[in-house]
Amino acid sequence: MERGYWIRSKPVYSTLVWQQQANAHIVLVEGSAGGLAAMKLFQQMHPEHPTKVLYARNPVVQQDLSIPLSKVVPDALLMFETTEESLVAFEAHLSSACMGLRIYVAGSERFIWQVAQMADKYGIDDSDIIKELVGTLARPIYCVHCKTISYEAHTNIKKCDGCGKQLFVRDHFSRRLGAYMGLMVDAEDPGQIPSIEEIYP
Amino acid sequence: MSTFKVVVSNIQQITPLIKQFSFIREDGASLPPFSGGSHVVVAMNINGRLHRNPYSLMGSPQAPDTYHIAVRLQEHSRGGSAYLHHEVKVGSQLEITYPNNLFALDKRARKHLLVAGGIGITPFMSQIEDLIRTKANYELHYAYRSQDHAAFTSTLKEKCDERIRVYVESEGLSIDLKALLSKQPLGTHVYVCGPNAMVVALIETARSLGWPENHIHSEQFLAPPSGEPFKVKLAKSNIEVHVPAEMSMLEAIEAAGVDAPYSCRGGACGRCELEVIRTDGVLVHQDHYLSEADKAAGKKIMPCVSRAKCHSLEINL
Ligand code: FES
Repeated sequence: MERGYWIRSKPVYSTLVWQQQANAHIVLVEGSAGGLAAMKLFQQMHPEHPTKVLYARNPVVQQDLSIPLSKVVPDALLMFETTEESLVAFEAHLSSACMGLRIYVAGSERFIWQVAQMADKYGIDDSDIIKELVGTLARPIYCVHCKTISYEAHTNIKKCDGCGKQLFVRDHFSRRLGAYMGLMVDAEDPGQIPSIEEIYP
Repeated sequence: MSTFKVVVSNIQQITPLIKQFSFIREDGASLPPFSGGSHVVVAMNINGRLHRNPYSLMGSPQAPDTYHIAVRLQEHSRGGSAYLHHEVKVGSQLEITYPNNLFALDKRARKHLLVAGGIGITPFMSQIEDLIRTKANYELHYAYRSQDHAAFTSTLKEKCDERIRVYVESEGLSIDLKALLSKQPLGTHVYVCGPNAMVVALIETARSLGWPENHIHSEQFLAPPSGEPFKVKLAKSNIEVHVPAEMSMLEAIEAAGVDAPYSCRGGACGRCELEVIRTDGVLVHQDHYLSEADKAAGKKIMPCVSRAKCHSLEINL
């Protein structure tokens, strides 16, 4: 990869910081690293506006932070076993929410963009969501050939869940799809697959 | 800016201070369609001096056979509104620019919240047509001083049904911005047009409640304020123009026969921006287009409303 290159479409993430100008807050976090990000957020302060924390524990694969988190945010915490369940609750919340709701998300890229797409359905632009990438650098990959999105790409080359092609994981990101572009790696030289390395741990 | 000639086909007294003017094209051709919130600039030759004032187009934007503008007679008119009110008759000829929209509805909005104060109702008159036609979700909140100032209220009540609320100040009613803005569903966009104090209060209230910047839309054309006279040196044309106290810099440049870009002529759109080469005084920025940092840097000026307190100013034109 060349040095000093930057791709415009690639999202830039920050760390969660409370937005002072608000009507209400909702914080969505995933896994133990997300739980920790929520704990750090409450170390900054306890906001005066109505606040909800949606915590997807993902307990099978991750260390569970339910107990410390419920000590820090006793009244605002909702816990879920999986991210899918927390997204259902998020949508229910959005459908009755008012303008001025600030949205915070900490988790994998897949989770961040699932949240962004949900907010988009309710007219909120992803640039107005405070996003922190934690836990894993695994990328969601959109296969430009069969249009399937495969999740959890940890390597530079990954087999498409849809068509089985070996995809080269690019840095080009689509906000609409919430995924990086994946291009068949051996299109010109079938069978010639460069070495596969983990670069998104 | 390209313009075309129109003839005044109808004049209606809407309130004691507001007149509505209707235009048709002089050559009989059809008028260009426009989108809700658009304005045109009307050129008027007043005692040998060219005045150009922006006015919002009202009525149906789809296939207009007539353009309508509403003009409030300003107390301290620089001539434009007084000229239209007193001199222009049915049959008078005027020149207008093609419509331009600086106050468009955002298509992504799930709900449109329109807030008007006084004559600020005019851009909403065409937006409402678009909203009704597209069956969009909207609400109109319209405040004015007294029944004497109730422009278009009955038309609007008919069109908007239960979607309009009026606030008559003389009856002790005013818009509670905080209450209004804190209970809007997610995905709402707010649009405000009216007196400066109202526009500023709305923007600040929305921000303080956490509304994202791109959900807040405002329109306010300033009238060019008068000031002290000064000289402008046009570097490229290599001429010097005198800017009298009661003329804007843009008007003075135009009067000298130099074409300068413009669109809103009210300090809102950014189209007229000129580069300042140097000055022996200070710039007096009056626009609401340039950022505070730009204003402080003193390298740019919007000649439609801004001036300089100086002896001479050199610009790159
Ligand atoms: S013409 Fe629009 S800011 Fe000057």
